[in-house]
Amino acid sequence: MLSYVLNRFKSAIVVLFVVSIITFFVLMIIPGNPAELILGTDATPEMIEDLHVAMGLDRPLYQQYLSWLLDLFKLNMGKSYVYGESVKTLIARSLPVTISISVFAMAIAVFIAFFFGMISAIKKNSIIDYFSRSIMQLGAAIPSFWIGMVFIVYFGVKLKLFPVSGFVPINQNFIKFINSIFLPSVVLAIGEVGTLLRIIRSSMLDSLKQDYMDMAKVKGLGAGKIYIKYALRGALTAPLTIIGMQFAKLAGGTVVVETIFALPGLGRLVLTAVEHRDIVLLQGLVMFITSTVIIITLIVDILVMFLNPRIKSFHQGE
Amino acid sequence: MKNLKKIIVMLLVVLLISACTNQDKPDATDVKTDLTMGYTTEPEGLDPHRTAAASTFSVTNNIYDTLVGVTPQWTTEPRLAKDWVISDDGMEITFALRDDVYFHNGRQMTAKDVEYSFNRLKDAESPRARDYENIVKIEVLDDYNIKFTTASLDVELLKSFVYPWAAIVPEEEAANLKTKPVGTGAFTLKEWVPQQHLILQRNDNYYGSEVKLQTVKLVLIPDATSMMAGFQVGDLDIIPLTGDQVTMVEGNENYRIISEPMNAVQIMSLNTKNEFLSNEKVRQAMAMAINKDEVIEASVFGYGAKIGSHLPPTSPDYYDANNIIEYNPEKAKELLKEAGYENGFSINMSLPKNYQLHVDAGQVIADQLGKIGINVNIQLIEWGTWLSEVYGAKNFDSTVVGHTGRLDSYAFLSRYKSDSNDYISLTTGEVDELLENALKELDENKRKEIYKEIQVILANKLPAIYLQTPHTMLALQKNVEGMKIFPIDFYDFKDVYFTE
Repeated sequence: MLSYVLNRFKSAIVVLFVVSIITFFVLMIIPGNPAELILGTDATPEMIEDLHVAMGLDRPLYQQYLSWLLDLFKLNMGKSYVYGESVKTLIARSLPVTISISVFAMAIAVFIAFFFGMISAIKKNSIIDYFSRSIMQLGAAIPSFWIGMVFIVYFGVKLKLFPVSGFVPINQNFIKFINSIFLPSVVLAIGEVGTLLRIIRSSMLDSLKQDYMDMAKVKGLGAGKIYIKYALRGALTAPLTIIGMQFAKLAGGTVVVETIFALPGLGRLVLTAVEHRDIVLLQGLVMFITSTVIIITLIVDILVMFLNPRIKSFHQGE
Repeated sequence: MKNLKKIIVMLLVVLLISACTNQDKPDATDVKTDLTMGYTTEPEGLDPHRTAAASTFSVTNNIYDTLVGVTPQWTTEPRLAKDWVISDDGMEITFALRDDVYFHNGRQMTAKDVEYSFNRLKDAESPRARDYENIVKIEVLDDYNIKFTTASLDVELLKSFVYPWAAIVPEEEAANLKTKPVGTGAFTLKEWVPQQHLILQRNDNYYGSEVKLQTVKLVLIPDATSMMAGFQVGDLDIIPLTGDQVTMVEGNENYRIISEPMNAVQIMSLNTKNEFLSNEKVRQAMAMAINKDEVIEASVFGYGAKIGSHLPPTSPDYYDANNIIEYNPEKAKELLKEAGYENGFSINMSLPKNYQLHVDAGQVIADQLGKIGINVNIQLIEWGTWLSEVYGAKNFDSTVVGHTGRLDSYAFLSRYKSDSNDYISLTTGEVDELLENALKELDENKRKEIYKEIQVILANKLPAIYLQTPHTMLALQKNVEGMKIFPIDFYDFKDVYFTE
């Protein structure tokens, strides 16, 4: 088991290294010289050349990469051109925002998906089943920028129930914090709930067909115990993997929702970096986000291993 | 299952609480002194000598001062300099500085700071350095007098001292100006929280007339709909307005719109090296086939002014060249026939997809040109690609883009010099001499005549088809007064106040 964890760890590090190479070189060769972008349509070729040299962009690429990688090892991701602050500080400031809405959104999505997913699996083809299947369709079909705007106009402007945009940190005012992340989280949850619901429903259906379910019924256990303890546990592996992936996706930045609700999260930071061709910031962000995704996947894999005895025994046999 | 019920109840309670607590508005007994304005683009740091971004200058203009100021009517006025003298040959300018100006750190500003600031503006790390190459000597005469000498005559020299990048900064703070700006302006920076807001606070030692606002909070809201929502619920006192949103504000007695033509032109640039576009008649035919009113309607919902040459209507040197080539698709077809392209031809149009305004205009133009047999293939490209491929490498047939202006027409028009190496330079050289003369002509009226001549030549030769000057629009809550729109892209909050 330990060897499995270790192996996964090793491969994660290799992936990170490859990602660092790709991140650096792709961002370097994409069209759009940072000096040109900074100077815009007033620039003369001489001005661009001057700034290019001043920004250190005239050094050979491998030299730039090596010095960047070396700094990265020292956890120094450089200074953002736009903000003049260290990339680390900027990420540390944006991360709580993205994590807050991601966690809250996933909590909502998981709650709804499990509730309706289980019921519709147990009462297949009932009204609730049809209803939850429509939720699946809707969730997948409605674009988040549209539902976000509808929410802002209806709940923010018309009913004045929630602030129309902005973010209040949790340590400043808890209720205002919940207020500020509620709508964006719901919008995100709507986008994620469909996939999750579908997986839960089908795993649950699958698990209900298993022999041990008949055993449980024969033993005369109560419905609650049958469904939650036996059926659900057996049906948990697939949804857990999906939840992990969804969470990793959200934690990597939720550009659309953060833009609409003017939330200062990671997604907005990525967008600002792209808009201003803030290469240093962008490189730092891509590295950070990919590392996060890799780490979350690693954690989920280990969790799944604990939940699923088959994987555990398989690796123990190795 | 019991737990489930508890969770549901808890969630409902949280919802209810959050729904009830959002109505804590303070009582407005006194006149408000805290202004909140929405903005869409993050400044690129707050050091005026280290960026060329308009988003930076919008803010820094309130923190730093320049020697000379500008009015909304494009005239210059004293700012840090109370007076100036230009030598008879026009090569030297001497400024008399105010003696009551203090930096935000408490130190008095003197001519030495002016010298330092201009040297910093001219150094290698400054993106604007080459604009100030012509200034070859800076002499501090005494604490409050300073003289600038140029290498060659530039009659518009004074205007170089107006731009927000020509700001005066204290040497001892220079290293950290990007995040901790220190100037002499009417406001100091209280805090800048990246991606959220930027708060300016009144500078109580300001040398100018009394500033009424206590604080100005600039809130970053990237999305236009959210911006409008924030304005409608009253969170924001001022927002930038786009043409499609005007109907939401217009006619409502709680709001006010201020609008001025931008100091910018939207043009369809043509590559005169292209087989078809090198033919002057073809270019004229294209200009006749384009209905600019439709372009303005489609790209800025009608909030733009038609132009016929490369200066905006607000410029003091503007000449109305709209009548030189008028919309006439029938005559356009005849001209094409004369040029030998009766059956039309195909060209590419590279549009910068980050600018919806130009993409919309380009699509309408493609459609209009199609009607006279010119087939336009639209290619949407990234702004970065546009800058390197179209602007830099001149690898294009046609494009639609905006050129923002300076205060002096020379800076606006110098790209047309045959040796400017610009993507739309007029290679045949008709304007070269005129531009040289304009730069040396000391008589303002004669200069205007020269600029008029240049505008007429451009309107006929058409290295680009001149489309429009879009409007800058701001929506204000009705109790906000004193906000103005300037010919340079910046905001000025020192004269803004609330009436209730």
